Amino acid sequence: MFFIIDMFILASIFGFLYGFLLQKADFCFTASIRDWISVRDSRIGKGVLVLIATALVGWGLVLTLGLATVEKLWTVPVGFSNLIGGVLFGIGMTIAGSCASGALYRAGMGYIQFWIVIACMMIGNILFAFIYNPWAQSAIEPLLVTDQGYSLYQLNLPFLLLPLLIVGIMLLLAVRQFGWKGIASGIKDSIQDVKGNPFTKSHWDIRFVAVLIGIIATVQFVVMSSLSITGPETRIASVLLSFVFGEDFILQNTYLNGMFADFPVIGIGPEETLIIFMIFGAFVSALLSKSFKIRKPKASRLPYAIGGGLLMGVASRIAPGCNIANIIPGVGGMSLSSIIVIFGMVIGVFIATAYIFKMPLLLFQKMDFDFDENM
Amino acid sequence: MALTKEELSVIEPDHLVDGIGEVCPHTLNIALKALKKAKPGEVVVEVTDHSIATKTIPAAVKMNKIAEVLGIVSENGEYKIYLKKL
Repeated sequence: MFFIIDMFILASIFGFLYGFLLQKADFCFTASIRDWISVRDSRIGKGVLVLIATALVGWGLVLTLGLATVEKLWTVPVGFSNLIGGVLFGIGMTIAGSCASGALYRAGMGYIQFWIVIACMMIGNILFAFIYNPWAQSAIEPLLVTDQGYSLYQLNLPFLLLPLLIVGIMLLLAVRQFGWKGIASGIKDSIQDVKGNPFTKSHWDIRFVAVLIGIIATVQFVVMSSLSITGPETRIASVLLSFVFGEDFILQNTYLNGMFADFPVIGIGPEETLIIFMIFGAFVSALLSKSFKIRKPKASRLPYAIGGGLLMGVASRIAPGCNIANIIPGVGGMSLSSIIVIFGMVIGVFIATAYIFKMPLLLFQKMDFDFDENM
Repeated sequence: MALTKEELSVIEPDHLVDGIGEVCPHTLNIALKALKKAKPGEVVVEVTDHSIATKTIPAAVKMNKIAEVLGIVSENGEYKIYLKKL
């Protein structure tokens, strides 16, 4: 398969938009779970739920209209590796202080810490590839229940039935909790932030941004491919590695060879372009709102960036997929493996929040916010 | 209630926390740690360059009734978050 230039242009536009929007809303998937379990703050969590709802309706609609087929869905083999990878990724992203997408937009905002996280994620990706071939392949395959992915869309049901049912239940629960008035004022509030000149504003409502990202990701699914981050990062790392050790070094590794199966040569494709442009989009967004600044991390935080990044890199290959791939095309495409990965991530974030950061778990127990003095 | 920038600038913090270069969840952790040391009525101010902290810290202290948020001052990409322990 040869890539045509149009794909690269499309990819850079999508990447730019994602980076711009993620930065504008400070969309942090790690915080969406961590802040809810530690301090009962559900602001970002609601954003993630809106994103999931938008992706579900988007994917359902696209399949119903015949703009894409079930074969195009992003599904991966189902099994315990999804859970193990999810848990490890959850721990990794909590330690690092951001998920795969968070690291990209914060890198664009000038956080040196997240450049280190991204570099370590890539090292983790490569580490996994060289553990996989020759050793881990035989350890991971028995963990799988199916050797092919499975999506609930493969059930012979009308495509929009399950998405509308799930989103309907989400809406019902929201109405029960906030009432119709609460929801109406929530919608009003979420649009409030983009009045005036929205581009120079430092913050847009996360729910509003979630809808936009969901729509853009649906369009990308139709015209290009599903949104993912850690797969392309693995390929970028491989390209960099091939400069040092040559192309054969990459092609001799079963795992990396497979990752370049659709590529004419070992090089940067549209998806890789997309994630590079995410950093650029976030940079422009931060510049416009004057929130760009080179921010040096404290030396004491470097082990968190390195350790968290490496763990995320390895875990994203075991799962496989990062937060973005599993939440948007994964849940949107109703892929069973993604549901398990996300469940694992929640467990991982909980473990890291409770036992590594020893944050007060106010959701579960009314502590006199008693936690480790050394943190 | 939230005070104006002028009103905040005359407040002498009882505890000043340096959160420059820190990201979540450390920005929140160090604020909570200082609030734990503070006596009721004392003012804790955290200086941070992590914009998310201006959302997470007020949300966390309000939701758990640990402190009152007096206000946030933003200057040159840095923020001062004023918290009064309850």
